[in-house]
Amino acid sequence: MNFDFDLIVRSLPLLLMGAGITIQITAISVGIGLLIGMFVGIARLSKNWAVKMAATLYVDFIRGTPLLVQIFIIYFALPLILGQRIDPFVAAITACGINSGAYVAEIFRGGIQSIDKGQMEAGRSLGMTWGQTMYHIILPQAFKRIIPPLGNEFIAMLKDSSLVSVIGFEELTRRGQLIIARTYGSFEIWLTVAVIYLIMTLTISRLVDYLERRYKIG
Amino acid sequence: MITIKGLHKKFGKLHVLKGIDANIKEKEVVVIIGPSGSGKSTLLRCINYLEEPTEGEIIVDGIPLTSEANINKVREEVGMVFQRFNLFPHMSVLDNIMLAPMKVRKMSKADAEKVALDLLDKVGLNDKASAYPEQLSGGQQQRVAIARALAMKPKVMLFDEPTSALDPEMINEVLDVMKTLAKEGMTMAVVTHEMGFAREVGDRVIFMDEGRIIEEGTPDHFFNAAKEDRTKTFLSKIL
Repeated sequence: MNFDFDLIVRSLPLLLMGAGITIQITAISVGIGLLIGMFVGIARLSKNWAVKMAATLYVDFIRGTPLLVQIFIIYFALPLILGQRIDPFVAAITACGINSGAYVAEIFRGGIQSIDKGQMEAGRSLGMTWGQTMYHIILPQAFKRIIPPLGNEFIAMLKDSSLVSVIGFEELTRRGQLIIARTYGSFEIWLTVAVIYLIMTLTISRLVDYLERRYKIG
Repeated sequence: MITIKGLHKKFGKLHVLKGIDANIKEKEVVVIIGPSGSGKSTLLRCINYLEEPTEGEIIVDGIPLTSEANINKVREEVGMVFQRFNLFPHMSVLDNIMLAPMKVRKMSKADAEKVALDLLDKVGLNDKASAYPEQLSGGQQQRVAIARALAMKPKVMLFDEPTSALDPEMINEVLDVMKTLAKEGMTMAVVTHEMGFAREVGDRVIFMDEGRIIEEGTPDHFFNAAKEDRTKTFLSKIL
């Protein structure tokens, strides 16, 4: 077998553009996931039965079904109800964001539960509402504690985002497939794709280590 | 100032308070004593609704603790100091004190800061304004916690075993702050094991055991002429 190094060099610009899109979709998805996850995580701790039930159902459904199936549902099944095609990018971030939200919700729930009960009592005894205490006292402390698991979720999402290649969305994995279809350079391209993913995930985990050290106090 | 009628509290099957009737008058310092598990902390925590009473009525400064709105209103007027301080670890001492006045009383930042610095002066910690709770000793943390509660300008202060988590050499610095408050006419309810404080500062002592008030009276009555056997037994063990 010939190792065509030149193919890698020639393909690199296209692959790197794909990597940029992978980062973009991951960042947006995790952003959506953070927002959903924060509220659902809090809802899971609610005293209101209905709110708690709805949050639990969402988390169970998302975590109990494959992301690939969720992507199919959003991209292929949802348009049948809406009567309208969904843009692959919108479908990708919607599926990944909703998926990430369930995992982030569990991270938030754990983070909030790890904060001493006395903190909520202190806030409430000062006349602050539940929401004010949550916002000013509990969440800032919980957030520092959940930086490492959130970093893991970011890395997991970055890797799982390769699944959106199946709906033809041209992120890193899909770019690789397209180049191979033209050049048959499976070995070189998949190796390069893997190395690019590795560089991205290692960079994120270093960044998370740094953030964790920085926010150690408190 | 505080009226408690027929108060019961159950945690599941555990019947912690079995019918408490009590009054705390304005400017009165009431010290609540009793063995562990007698329900004295629970009683205190019912007054600002950190524990929801199972049965009974509590009225604070004319406001019955019935609706969520009333509860928040009462909490604004009732300061609480906890055994384990419960300072906010992610905030400086100054921010700990300023937060509630700004968010609840809608005080401006400048005004809140002035109030906070005055109070730090009062508790003898004006050099610690920018420190974080973990950099302070237990006694210092508890004094900050008192300042934090006072910043809301409460009409009543509740102290839940404020010196129980402290090293012995730090107990007096906290008690001294409490004595000053009492002299200034603050209405106070204090759960404590510090009998010296009860004797010196208390206007009235309430002795609780097994969820009931067994005996109450002036410190003088209490430490010299207690009537009930259970009170005598308790006092003989701790004095």
